[in-house]
Amino acid sequence: MSQDPKLPARSAEKVLSEEFFIARSKILDLAATLDRLERADGSLEALHQLKLLEQGMEILLDDQSDKAKRVQLLMSRPYDPDWRKNYGLH
Amino acid sequence: MDYIDPHIHMVSRTTDDYETLARMGCVAMSEPAFWAGFDRGSVESFRDYFRQLTEFEPKRAAQFGIKHYTWLCINAKEAENVSLSREVIAMIPEFLDASNVLGIGEIGLNKNTKNESTIFLEHVDLAARYNQQILIHTPHLEDKYQGTKMILDMLVSDARIERSRVLVDHVEEHTIQEVLDRGFWAGMTLYPITKCTPARAADMIERFGTERLMANSAGDWGPSKPTAIPDLIMELKRRGHSRDLIRKIVYENPCEFFSQSKNFKAPIAAP
Repeated sequence: MSQDPKLPARSAEKVLSEEFFIARSKILDLAATLDRLERADGSLEALHQLKLLEQGMEILLDDQSDKAKRVQLLMSRPYDPDWRKNYGLH
Repeated sequence: MDYIDPHIHMVSRTTDDYETLARMGCVAMSEPAFWAGFDRGSVESFRDYFRQLTEFEPKRAAQFGIKHYTWLCINAKEAENVSLSREVIAMIPEFLDASNVLGIGEIGLNKNTKNESTIFLEHVDLAARYNQQILIHTPHLEDKYQGTKMILDMLVSDARIERSRVLVDHVEEHTIQEVLDRGFWAGMTLYPITKCTPARAADMIERFGTERLMANSAGDWGPSKPTAIPDLIMELKRRGHSRDLIRKIVYENPCEFFSQSKNFKAPIAAP
């Protein structure tokens, strides 16, 4: 989804120049977190949360848009349209 | 710039915070009833809390020229106790004529359980019977998507509910579109860690426009920042957005929504 056309748009160059150091800092935080996990005792293979982080990072690197929304949905419990019937609520 | 914070829990803030908010341009606020940090044991605890919201907090705010409004309910965390919830819901009408009450809220879901849903529906019925506006709490983190859709299901199934009189708060990238598309108002809650940052809120304004959209600080017991709305104002200014656009989000939209309640009077704000 693109920006509301009625609003002023910043160029890609301007967005990147203004946001680069913020994004760089966030990547470093994430990298350091992964380093911390690697140094910690115990196995990480079965941890659901780690899998979610890895899948989230894949979304960051793919070529599709709506990355924030897709990461949110990845981290969300699914919705069941029949929930009301299952709860016995009418 | 003068602004309104449509969702801030001042019972958890100091008097110094009121002064700081006034200095930052806050001219009015609305405070939904919420969790006290622990589960309360009786309906009398809620009666005292509602007195705090309708009598004490307006006076504390007035010392700094801020108009204080409120919303009443038993929150979703405590709705697991169905019998207590029903006692509280039965008591709420005692306070609906207080001069700063805007409606029923913040009602919603927390862990999306059957009991929470049952009490949500009973709050919606209360609002409909007393012609009250509604302020909605949507769940956080992994429960938000599922819970928001459940809440919207329940609201649209009640023909008495006017969608333009319902504010659905804590929307994020994966819930905002459906809330707006279905005709409700949406609120973005600015929070340091678990909710939405000012930059992401500015992104949503740029993508979804300014109609039926507001921002708030929550300002609750957790790590939160009561001056988050001025942070959003700064972010929008930094991106080159007009004063008119910013004012619509932080002042005009709250006035338009709250004006549907008989108790709201728009504060005098600098243009």
